Amino acid sequence: MAAETAVIQRVAAGSGRAGTIGDALFRWLTFLFALLVLLILGGVIVALVDGALPAFRAFGFPFVFSEIWNPVTQKFGALAPIYGTLVTSAIAMLVGIPVAFGVAVFITEICPLWLKRPLATMIELLAAIPSIIYGIWGLFVFAPFVQQYIQPAIIDTFGQIPGIGALFAGPPLGIGVLTAGFILAVMVLPFISSIMRDVFETVPAMLKESAYGLGATRGEVVRSIVLPYTRIGVVGGIMLGLGRALGETMAVTFVIGNAHNISASILQPGTTISASLANEFTEAFGDLYRSSLIALGLILFIITFIVLAIAKLMLLRLQKQAGASA
Amino acid sequence: MNIYARRRAANAVVTTLSVAATAFGVLWLVLVLWTLLENGIAAITPALFSQMTPPPGSAGGLLNAIFGSIVMTLIGTVIGTPTGILAGTFLAEYSRGNHFGEVVRFINDILLSAPSIIVGLFVYELMVVPMGHFSAWAGAVALSIIVIPVVVRTTEDMLSLVPNTLREAAAALGTPKWKVIVMVSYRAAIQGMVTGVMLAVARIAGETAPLLFTALNNQFWSTNLNAPMANLPVVIFQFAMSPYADWQVLAWGGALLITITVLFLNIGARALASWSTFKQ
Amino acid sequence: MSPAAARRAMPISSLGLPGTEAQPASRQKVLIRDVDFYYGGFKALKNVTLPLHDKRVTAFIGPSGCGKSTLLRVLNRIYELYPGQRATGEVLVDGQNILSPGLDLNLLRARIGMVFQKPTPFPMSIYDNIAFGIRLYERLPRHELDDRIESALRRAALWDEVKDKLPQSGLGLSGGQQQRLCIARAVAVRPEVLLLDEPASALDPISTQRIEELIAELKADYCIAIVTHNMQQAARSSDYTAFMYLGELIEFDETERIFTHPKQKHTEDYITGRFG
Repeated sequence: MAAETAVIQRVAAGSGRAGTIGDALFRWLTFLFALLVLLILGGVIVALVDGALPAFRAFGFPFVFSEIWNPVTQKFGALAPIYGTLVTSAIAMLVGIPVAFGVAVFITEICPLWLKRPLATMIELLAAIPSIIYGIWGLFVFAPFVQQYIQPAIIDTFGQIPGIGALFAGPPLGIGVLTAGFILAVMVLPFISSIMRDVFETVPAMLKESAYGLGATRGEVVRSIVLPYTRIGVVGGIMLGLGRALGETMAVTFVIGNAHNISASILQPGTTISASLANEFTEAFGDLYRSSLIALGLILFIITFIVLAIAKLMLLRLQKQAGASA
Repeated sequence: MNIYARRRAANAVVTTLSVAATAFGVLWLVLVLWTLLENGIAAITPALFSQMTPPPGSAGGLLNAIFGSIVMTLIGTVIGTPTGILAGTFLAEYSRGNHFGEVVRFINDILLSAPSIIVGLFVYELMVVPMGHFSAWAGAVALSIIVIPVVVRTTEDMLSLVPNTLREAAAALGTPKWKVIVMVSYRAAIQGMVTGVMLAVARIAGETAPLLFTALNNQFWSTNLNAPMANLPVVIFQFAMSPYADWQVLAWGGALLITITVLFLNIGARALASWSTFKQ
Repeated sequence: MSPAAARRAMPISSLGLPGTEAQPASRQKVLIRDVDFYYGGFKALKNVTLPLHDKRVTAFIGPSGCGKSTLLRVLNRIYELYPGQRATGEVLVDGQNILSPGLDLNLLRARIGMVFQKPTPFPMSIYDNIAFGIRLYERLPRHELDDRIESALRRAALWDEVKDKLPQSGLGLSGGQQQRLCIARAVAVRPEVLLLDEPASALDPISTQRIEELIAELKADYCIAIVTHNMQQAARSSDYTAFMYLGELIEFDETERIFTHPKQKHTEDYITGRFG
């Protein structure tokens, strides 16, 4: 036994040290790559700021509020793309949030057990479909449909009401801000719904059962028990969906119409930051043109960063709350 | 009695709306997939896989685009996966409760949802400008930047699921930490990690925006990684937006190809995940 | 009748150092001296001092939270995996203090093996499970490795059940078999001390019995420390017993004496079931 121990000690003396070297090396390796993640973000910020500087130096801060977009005179302003980004995302949220909520409620509370998995998978496949597929579908299938049926109907009904009628003015073109916003809604609803579902599942079954046991209806349980319990997570999920909608490119590019103007009517074409970039960047001539586009990218990055950071913070808080009460 | 009837009615409304919302969601999935199939199937011919992208007005295929997509997706995955796995390993195994780890996790999740067109702009400034030209390498790097956060997240999640008792059992035998991770933890988490990689590949298979300013496009067959290279998403973008009918047909065909690949990978990843939990 | 079965047949009160079999002479293998342990700011072990004898089984008993598992985990410094946990004092193994800071922990753990409460087979074949520890420190040709694995599985009374299944995954075995696999894995690296942290508590009674028989056979070659919440098991299987309560060692003595004439009232209360 003693001799064997000695053997182990002798052999291990070598591998013991090797083990420690191996440990140090591996630890440094993983650390470096973790650092790389931070460096990527840093690099993005540096690259964008560096590229946008000429535009900001030429136009100053008013760049953000100007509607001019003239490649010929090399005068640019970010207002139209920013406006389009915000409006399409707003429409996407208006349509997407209630639908996502309905889907989440159905899957977690109403759906029979055998249907849950396949249904959840189907909704998640909506998220898996690449954006360009939505784009091409939107251009060839959805936009014409909207132009033929939906938009005339809207114009004939809401468009006639004085005041808000201005929101729906103009000829039915099919493409435009509304169409883009709607397709965005379909694209972000699986993200929002999936987070809502995860968050609804964290509600302890006993809590819901006590409410049901008192005779509450399903709607009442959702409203009074599930929602308050998961409020932070729901908002976090919505913010995440918003972050996605803001940055979505290809689907929007196909159907937004690419017009650098702001109009009150959502039936009109417009543009978003990502659509402008996708359409114009490779053709952009002149340093100021390119720099203005990169400046647009920087603005988009800042907006999405803030939204995503808020979403992440809220979801983290929910995790802590769930962990504390577990 | 009146109150009760009202409550029941309200509940019925809620239920109906939820069902309607779900049906709405499923409807769009079916619609999109159906029209995709309808329009794309016409383009699925042997010519699609044997001929190059044609100039407008003539017949052709998508071979160079398919090749380019496969090559760039592959390289992007090869670059991004080990990077993501190592970074995710750091988060799971070496960053218990320290601030650096929390910051990395936070930033990683933001990169995960960041607009992919920004990634394209970044790689443009990083590689295309210094190199003076577009290239497949730039495209692959842009794709890898999209892969990394996905793999980091799934690696960290999967490694966190490995029970500590397993690590202790390995450590109790005198195993150095790095061997515990590589030979025990990775093995325990391998299925989840593979699923993560599959989902990452599915994501980049359809990404257009990052390739717009990096790999650009190429009308001809090219194997030169140092030059612009054709790829399915950008070809679809160009062809679909054009007024030429045969280009549009090819665009639908390409769209169908991408969608089949993406759905296949997604469903495959899910099947793998549930098969492994079933096995245990 | 095997010695283990004979011992089981005796009533509790007459257990102890059996007079009919000659045990090898015992010396102190491990000396735990003035050990304190902290989980962060909480002092979980207070001034523990006791010996562990070679070729003997020392059992640790006490109510939940008394620190017996904590003490065991000090002996192979497995607590070092977690920040915020630390031990002070001395643990002398053959005269060498294993709590000293510069010590190579991996080497230590090759000499002091541990089996945990829950069976933890690695996600690999049965063969690789056993070979894992051996391969860490020794370069053996294939046939020698095969022999070592066979002997380890035999010592764990598992060989007959798995000899045709070596390439299969360790996860496919039953709970009792998995635990014996873990024991085989621990003895395969030829440690000097074996630490068993409630090895049978997650198992059914039949598997428990087989593990106890195993321990009785293993003690001929190792210094064994076993934590158990099952007093009858301690009384049956061990030569020495340590009773712990709230982080302190209340009493340490030969098993027969502790169970028949405990010196401390506290010990007596615990053994007779007045608390815990």
